[in-house]
Amino acid sequence: MEIDGKEFKVDGDGFLTDPNIWNKEVAALFAKYDGIEELTEKHWAIINVIRKNWEETGMAPMIRSICQTTGIRLKEIYQLFPLGPARGACRVAGLPKPDGCV
Amino acid sequence: MKNFEDKKQKGLKVFSGQEDSKLITHLNSCVHCGLCAESCMYYLVTKDERYIPAKKVDLISSIYQRYCTFTGKYFPVLSKARELDEAAVAEMVDLLFGACTLCGRCTKHCSIGVDIGYVIKKGREMLTEMGYTPETLQSTVNAAIQSGNNMSIPESEFRDTLTWLEEDLRDEVNDPDASIPLNVPGKDILYTLNPREPKFFPLSISAMAKIFYAAKESWTLSTQMYDVTNYAYFTSNKDEAVTIAERLYNETVDMKAKRCVLAECGHGSRAFRWEAPNYLNKSFPFETMTSVELMAEYISKGRIKLDKSLNKEVMTLHDPCNLVREGGVIEPQRYVLKQAVENFIEMTPHGIDNYCCGGGGGQLAMSEYNERRMKTAEIKAEQIRKTGAKVVVTPCHNCVDQLMQIDNKFKLGVKVKTLSEVVADAIALE
Repeated sequence: MEIDGKEFKVDGDGFLTDPNIWNKEVAALFAKYDGIEELTEKHWAIINVIRKNWEETGMAPMIRSICQTTGIRLKEIYQLFPLGPARGACRVAGLPKPDGCV
Repeated sequence: MKNFEDKKQKGLKVFSGQEDSKLITHLNSCVHCGLCAESCMYYLVTKDERYIPAKKVDLISSIYQRYCTFTGKYFPVLSKARELDEAAVAEMVDLLFGACTLCGRCTKHCSIGVDIGYVIKKGREMLTEMGYTPETLQSTVNAAIQSGNNMSIPESEFRDTLTWLEEDLRDEVNDPDASIPLNVPGKDILYTLNPREPKFFPLSISAMAKIFYAAKESWTLSTQMYDVTNYAYFTSNKDEAVTIAERLYNETVDMKAKRCVLAECGHGSRAFRWEAPNYLNKSFPFETMTSVELMAEYISKGRIKLDKSLNKEVMTLHDPCNLVREGGVIEPQRYVLKQAVENFIEMTPHGIDNYCCGGGGGQLAMSEYNERRMKTAEIKAEQIRKTGAKVVVTPCHNCVDQLMQIDNKFKLGVKVKTLSEVVADAIALE
């Protein structure tokens, strides 16, 4: 996948093949691809929680944990990431695609 | 490492199952009238003839002819008989897994009644027997079998989420005693969830909890087995489908529930309500119903009162294939919407002739076919755009995700909601 002239190895859904190559620049580019022009402080709070959980447990966090850790309301999270916590936020945070109906 | 010949013999066994004269009939009946072509989203969008449903049936039929008919066995060049070799396998994987949502629209349009969806499921079964299930799809089945739910949610996380949602419910209905009961035996209803609800999209859990509260329902969730999905239905792995279905069956019996109510999930409803009695080969001592029908029942019996002025936006309805075309649950969701929203407008076509969202049949899980999936989605995008609706309601969490992606890609500017969310928003508490 190419964004802004940069090449990324991703799966068919655009999730990073190697989550370890993720950095803040990747996050910004992926977000832009989804139509999020600029990552705000709230976006970053969500991304950081997801990233930390991934590094500690190897899984995406529950939405409860995202809400309670960041203090951001559920409905606002869906507004911040229009594709939702999985295809939106987790992808921007560099995680692999979760299993299930997402 | 098993060699290909071993795999081939396993795959060909699908043709010799004693119970399956249906398969043989349907493999030998297509008259190539072509009506199915215009039914299929993959063909309509791409005009690629390989995607015509009859061609997919032909592919499986040609292998049947090669190994199971006299001319095919001894004079394969005289017939359409085809070897089951690695090239045939690759083509089957691409077409039967990668270019079919098992939406069943072709079956409904077939001039002579070939159950095309069934034949394709059997083709998937051959591939699964041979070990060619796409890994991206199988991983969701594995998660369910190994952890008890298809997103591998640990029990403690599940409990924490429901406690959190229970606090919200108490605020919402202004009652400190409102609850989301867990593991309480002897209730009338054992309710189920799609794991993506507790993991990422809990608004529909809150909505159903509010509806149950308003209806004064006797209900419980189970922390042991709440997963309504059964992805082994998509992989056509009967043993795994049985394992998953049996867990929900056993949990409903253990909980002594009168009803097992299935969350808004198309394939899950099909797999547990309509397929599972066959999987498990027994009739169920409890009633199985969808939450869609339950909501309609609450309204018609006056157990919940709705104020449609609380839902003013124009809303349309997307029909999940497994629930509507395959399951026959067609009117309850329309009855509910007419009571719950001021402006409800149908898509064209709708009901049993509706187009799939494009994410069915396990497509959402199979990343390798993402581009194709989102291309076929242009049909659904146009259907939605033409309604002018601001909200698309659909009683299936899988459809919800695909519709959100469609909204994003085709810039429709719509919100996507489950039916329970819309109903909960219209509830007028006394």
